[in-house]
Amino acid sequence: MSVIRDNLITQLTTNLSGSNASVSSELPFTSGGETLYDKNMKTLYVDEEQISQDTLYAVLDRNNIEINSSSVTAYLQVDAKNQLSDINSIVSNVLSAKSVITNTITSESDYSSDYDLDAIVYTFEFRFDKTVT
Amino acid sequence: MAVINVTSGDQAVLTLGNDGTMAAPGGTHGLIVPTVQDISVGASTGSVRYSTLDSSASSAFTTVNENTITLNMLVDGDTFFGDGANVNNTIANKGLMQTSKEKTEIFFSVAFNEGDSTDEYYISGQGFLTGLTPTASIDQAVWISPMEIVVNGELSRTVVA
Repeated sequence: MSVIRDNLITQLTTNLSGSNASVSSELPFTSGGETLYDKNMKTLYVDEEQISQDTLYAVLDRNNIEINSSSVTAYLQVDAKNQLSDINSIVSNVLSAKSVITNTITSESDYSSDYDLDAIVYTFEFRFDKTVT
Repeated sequence: MAVINVTSGDQAVLTLGNDGTMAAPGGTHGLIVPTVQDISVGASTGSVRYSTLDSSASSAFTTVNENTITLNMLVDGDTFFGDGANVNNTIANKGLMQTSKEKTEIFFSVAFNEGDSTDEYYISGQGFLTGLTPTASIDQAVWISPMEIVVNGELSRTVVA
């Protein structure tokens, strides 16, 4: 289990409470040819954390400082014809959930949207860089 | 002929001590400065140039050597501020910052390879710590500082017998 994903889900659940969207702890897997966020609109699904590790500082005694670059993608699908009245707030609250991850060198979030027939899919991406201690 | 590799983690090692024996590579109670990013041994021969009317090229004579050791390191807390425990090595006890501030003369060695086995090499001498300028920022994530040893006198070169 990814600590970053778990913490993000907890924070997203808090940030979206009282809104027209909710958060699932399930992965956005495909069932019956459809991803879960296709089936369950207005529910945010958070994917697995992707991690790459690089050397931030190489030192002569090889006690190098390593950096973990993590990214987490989340998906939210809503009806494009009848947009949620609070969609702007939802997007803003999802993006700000990045602040729950602390001790980072960089902490970024952004989103893009795409149409899928009469639905609009919001794809959120969170990126974090942390030193490995 | 062979180049001297420094990739194993136990080569290009700076050791500090209160005397030459302690500061030699592998010396008992020597303080090995950790997390050094790069180290330079400056062995500069001073010179003066002069011109004469009978020559189209300048001539030169040598003056004194000016020797320095310069390095950049990630700041290790115990090394920088002292471990407060080492009763044999005051540099390890007080740390680099206090030793520099007190202008205490220290002994050092720079092992080119490991410097403690037959046919290995190191350079040694004595001098003063200076140039500590620790800096920090979010982007660099850790404290980093340069350091210089202003060498008092000549550098000695040793090939371990």
